[in-house]
Amino acid sequence: MSEGRILVVDDEPQIQRFLKPALTAAGYDPVSAMTGAEAERLAVTAAPDLIILDLGLPDRDGKEVIRALRSWSKLPIIVLSARDQEIEKIEALDLGADDYVEKPFGIGELLARVRTALRHREPETIATTRFEFDGVVIDMAKRLVTRDGQPVKLTPKEYDLLVHMARHAGRVLTHRQLLNAVWGPAHAEDVQYLRVFVGQLRAKIEGNAASPVLIRTEPGVGYRFSQ
Amino acid sequence: MNPADTERRPDPDALLVLAGGARGKLTVFLGAAPGVGKTYAMLSRARSLKAAGVDIVVGIAETHGRSETGALLDGLEVLPRRSIEYRGRRIEEFDLDAALARKPRIIVVDEMAHTNVEGSRHPKRHQDIDELVAAGVDVWTALNIQHLESLNDLVTHITGIEVREIVPDIALKKADDVILVDLPPAELIQRLKDGKVYLPENAARAVDGFFKPQNLTALRELALRRTADRVDDQMVDFLRQSAIEGPWATAERLLVLVGADALSEKVVRTASRLASGLNAPWVVISLSRPGAVTEPATAQRLDETMRLAERLGGTVRRITSEDFVADTLKLAHRENITQIVIGRPRRDWLARLVRLSLPDALLRHSRDIAVHVVSGESEAREAGGYRLGGTTINWMKAIGLPLLAVAAVTAFGLGLTAALPLQNLSMLYLVAVVISAIIGGRVSAIMAAGLSFFAYNFFFIEPHYSFTIARPHEVFALIIFLAAAVFTGQLAGRIREEAERARRQERATQALYEFSRKLSGAARLDTVLEATAAHIYSATGMGTALLVPEQDDLVVGAQWPPDLALDSTDMTAARWARDKREPAGHATSTLPQAHWEFRPIVAARELAGVLGLYRGDAEGPLLPHDDAVVRGVLDQAAIAIDRARLARENVRTAALEESERLNAALFASLSHDLKTPLATISGASTSLRELGDRMDKATRHDLLVSIEEEAARLNRFVSNLFDMMRLESGTLKARRETFDVSEAVTRAVDRVRKLHTASFEVSLADALPMVWGDANLLGQALFNLFDNAAKYAGAAGPISVYARMDGASVTISVTDQGKGIPEHELERIFEKFYRSTKGDGRAAGTGLGLSIARGFIEAMGGTIRAESPAIKRRGTRFVVTLPAAGGKA
Repeated sequence: MSEGRILVVDDEPQIQRFLKPALTAAGYDPVSAMTGAEAERLAVTAAPDLIILDLGLPDRDGKEVIRALRSWSKLPIIVLSARDQEIEKIEALDLGADDYVEKPFGIGELLARVRTALRHREPETIATTRFEFDGVVIDMAKRLVTRDGQPVKLTPKEYDLLVHMARHAGRVLTHRQLLNAVWGPAHAEDVQYLRVFVGQLRAKIEGNAASPVLIRTEPGVGYRFSQ
Repeated sequence: MNPADTERRPDPDALLVLAGGARGKLTVFLGAAPGVGKTYAMLSRARSLKAAGVDIVVGIAETHGRSETGALLDGLEVLPRRSIEYRGRRIEEFDLDAALARKPRIIVVDEMAHTNVEGSRHPKRHQDIDELVAAGVDVWTALNIQHLESLNDLVTHITGIEVREIVPDIALKKADDVILVDLPPAELIQRLKDGKVYLPENAARAVDGFFKPQNLTALRELALRRTADRVDDQMVDFLRQSAIEGPWATAERLLVLVGADALSEKVVRTASRLASGLNAPWVVISLSRPGAVTEPATAQRLDETMRLAERLGGTVRRITSEDFVADTLKLAHRENITQIVIGRPRRDWLARLVRLSLPDALLRHSRDIAVHVVSGESEAREAGGYRLGGTTINWMKAIGLPLLAVAAVTAFGLGLTAALPLQNLSMLYLVAVVISAIIGGRVSAIMAAGLSFFAYNFFFIEPHYSFTIARPHEVFALIIFLAAAVFTGQLAGRIREEAERARRQERATQALYEFSRKLSGAARLDTVLEATAAHIYSATGMGTALLVPEQDDLVVGAQWPPDLALDSTDMTAARWARDKREPAGHATSTLPQAHWEFRPIVAARELAGVLGLYRGDAEGPLLPHDDAVVRGVLDQAAIAIDRARLARENVRTAALEESERLNAALFASLSHDLKTPLATISGASTSLRELGDRMDKATRHDLLVSIEEEAARLNRFVSNLFDMMRLESGTLKARRETFDVSEAVTRAVDRVRKLHTASFEVSLADALPMVWGDANLLGQALFNLFDNAAKYAGAAGPISVYARMDGASVTISVTDQGKGIPEHELERIFEKFYRSTKGDGRAAGTGLGLSIARGFIEAMGGTIRAESPAIKRRGTRFVVTLPAAGGKA
């Protein structure tokens, strides 16, 4: 029994050449696609549990593939790209990708992201009411946050922000996604606003706000709530 | 803000004047006559300022050897004069450039009315002063009232001495301060008697006539009045600037009507004096009927009058009108005119009978507007040349032609009467009149009518060969004939003139039409410039150059005819026209000794260029007709030049945007090309380290091989980048040695076979000669070609490589069977980073291979080109040609 079927979409044969044995060795069942069209077809017929997707495909832009997949599926997608421009990453994440790994990468990092993404598959459906991370407990039933047993006073917006990040722990959340979820679409561009709130939140829940471990910054992209 | 505040707000223009900017201030020491002590006053003030530590220098001061004035110069900084050789004499002049270079806070430049020696930058010293003031230097200068242009005729009238050195009124008007240096006439005459007044030689003769108490009193009054006017102006300015409520001035506005007659000059001068006395603005208009064609001489005269009006400070306008009286009054009401000034030319009794003169008509309809009529009775008839109907008479046409025509008709008539007993031959003479009219115009016709009258009487009316007339009724017939002849002649003459005018107009219209058609079709700047130059040359006959700004200088963009040269003086004048946006060079106030006249071409956005007209040694400003042509053309040219420039800029901007886009794509692709092998190396090695024990041996081996391969790929990529850098920086040195082509080809094929599965068919001619160059460079270039072919078309079929001797060179060709390259890309594929397919999702490559191949081959003195399709509408062929070294391999 495999850990899950993974569809690897990349037109570079060299990448496929090492990903396939590596994923197999890690216990997954890899399926290869060289083009966007093939990827969309296999996403239906091969029923993968996760997709690793290169953004530079010969027949279409990888972002198109994300858009097409997201129209019918919540399948976790990890973007694999040599494009280190932030805008590309953010666009892919905003379109619904779950995470990204930049080329070149170590296999360990990729596998860790794969595990996280598989674990948090469809997080909204999991009716969790209590999270615990590193001494911080969020009890949603009581609307109470404690740190090392001591209650932490949060404003309603700080609480909403923390809960939204906790529900997507391990995933990268773009500025836009966070602003959208907590403040609504009208504030989707107010990144500065978000920074202020994250700063306040860190001061209240992090052991050392200067080197945060719970709310980590993804430079230029957004935040990742670690577990 | 309430409305009252708005009204009381100071005039913004007045405040602008107050702000002043970087201009210097002009102070004029005004005197009534020489000897009143202007220079003395100026220098003693200069001394006291100098003592107070002000940076003041003396640019030029005429002490005329008078010791008391000369002593004042001690301790003042005096600029050295410029020495100029002129007609064998050394003349010392004020050194404008030295003054500009020294740039003191205040400079003393004596004798504002001085005329500079020929060859100076400006013909007049007051223009030098202008330039100094514009450069931000305060200038003190001295002026005698008699040199003022508007008072010129008055002074001549009062003193009987003609003043030749003239300063336009506007120059005095521009002065920030006028200081009156006054001396009562009696004292001045005493000073003169004491020999304290220096007089130039030419004036010395007239000294007795000039220095009479009544003259001096009159001049003193003029000077005092002028100064008082200025004080008045300043008061008004002050009131305006301080937003003190009016009435500020009398609010008089003058309208001045002028024509091309001699009287108009007097009208303008009178109006100017009146206007300055009333402190009123004045508008000068010339009226003409639509479509009326004026003789060049007339038009030039009107031009001169208008220029005079401008110099005296009037605003000039030219108006075409069907109804002079109505339009004049309409304009007057629109402009709030309070007074009209008009000349009344001397008219003969007949004209007076026929219709009301313009002054009379204006008087009748003007109602609340006062009309000043300047009488022309005392005006002398214009000297030199009898004028009739505004036409200068061509004596050949006026007398020769009618004489000839009448003589011919008379001879014919005499012959005819000898053969046939004809009663009345007067009709024959009408023919002579009409012929004269058609060829020579109205004057000839009238002359012919007169001659006919006498000839007919003399030869054909009894008694023959005498002017006496026997039968009374024939006297009557003769008079009727004369009237008929004059009438016919006038009519025929007018028809001729009208035909001539129509022809002229048609030619001009046609030329202008051709020109605008050419311009509208011209998108390129060169075409526009050439068309403009050619048009001006053909319309005026003057050599034409169009100079356009290029970086910080002007360059000749087009010139016609092409053999005329611009010397350094001309270029200086051209730059002046560009910088100051005013005409310069020949017959202008700046560098008039230049052979070219330059005019700025001002377009909507900026200066479009400078027009140069070759005037050579021609005298005076352009003829009005040429001037009109040039102005018309310039307006159109300015728009066309501006448009062409805009188009060029658009192309540039588009190219820039394109190159920015390419750059972005290039970085994306470079990043992809570098990171893909790195990703493989990093991914495969970490996989081996972390998961290797869970893999079988074959898999582990494959991963190791992929690492090796990708490292090699990375190495090639980096080498390519270095090769490119060597080529670009020029540090690439191709060795010059003979080597075997066959060997280089074979080695390159072997190398590429290790990398690609594509099949190569190699066919080398026997006995290929050695070639000159660098075997390594050729090997790399060929490898790049082979690699390229294998990568893009390796799957489509075998790649053929041929090498053969071709005359004195060796040709190597590489032909693939891929889908080929579109024709428009055949050259571009050799460009750095250019790749035939877009984006980063295509076969791995750097986009450098072909560029490097070309660089290397050209460094060896060879050539490379691409052809597509190569065979049967498919494939690409690269052909490399290298010079053979001679000798067999």
